[in-house]
Amino acid sequence: MKVQGIGIPVLDQDRALKFYTEKLGFVKKHDVPVSEGNRWLTVVAKEDQEGPEVLLEPAPNNFEPAKIYQKALKDAGIPYTQFNVNNVQEEYERLVDLNVTFSVKPTVMGTVKIAVFDDTCGNYIQIIETL
Amino acid sequence: MTFYETEINRIKKICFSNDKQLETVISLRNFIDNNFEKEINLKFLSHTLLTSKYHLLRLFKRYYGITPKQYLTIRRLEKSKEYLKKGMSVSEVCYNVGFNTHSSFSTLFKNKIGLTPTEFQKKQLSQNHSR
Repeated sequence: MKVQGIGIPVLDQDRALKFYTEKLGFVKKHDVPVSEGNRWLTVVAKEDQEGPEVLLEPAPNNFEPAKIYQKALKDAGIPYTQFNVNNVQEEYERLVDLNVTFSVKPTVMGTVKIAVFDDTCGNYIQIIETL
Repeated sequence: MTFYETEINRIKKICFSNDKQLETVISLRNFIDNNFEKEINLKFLSHTLLTSKYHLLRLFKRYYGITPKQYLTIRRLEKSKEYLKKGMSVSEVCYNVGFNTHSSFSTLFKNKIGLTPTEFQKKQLSQNHSR
């Protein structure tokens, strides 16, 4: 058994693909039509394309509890997941220049620095750097 | 302020209010990052950081969840993977990252990564060729 990837629920797969590739810099790995307009859509880090895949799953539009859970997290400002970066401040500035909205600006939290942004698809995502 | 931001502030006050301790462990981690190929002398470092060796060990474990020695091993293995991907020979990698013997390096690598250094390098090279 091994970890191949993680799933992130998204409200719109087209918009998610655009955001995760054009803003965050991921690369599309799989894009397979499934049914009724849904796709098995994954992206990977550009510098680690054999590494874990992020599945942009359309669960909120197909399963009501998923939508409720996603909204509850968003309303509380809780990130759905987090990505590691080398430098949170630099990544924050790069993304702000691309009009990405942050709910938490770069903040030191003990031995890590974090920031949280809106992925425009129903989630907050945290970026983290170990100090 | 969202629930998440309130929680960040609350946890910061409870767990991360001792700036001096944080500065000490972050300095030690940075030192290991920059000197991973050398023998790390904790006794000497604890004098430099104005604390005792055992206090330094406890603090590091408290804030990072692992001992400095475990962190050093992780750092060396990360660096090994980087060098192997670049095509450096296993022996060169072994000594460049600070292991004393080829066998201790290979055994540890296999235990932590799941492949021997040679197998890891072959896999990387074949992946690069197939792209």
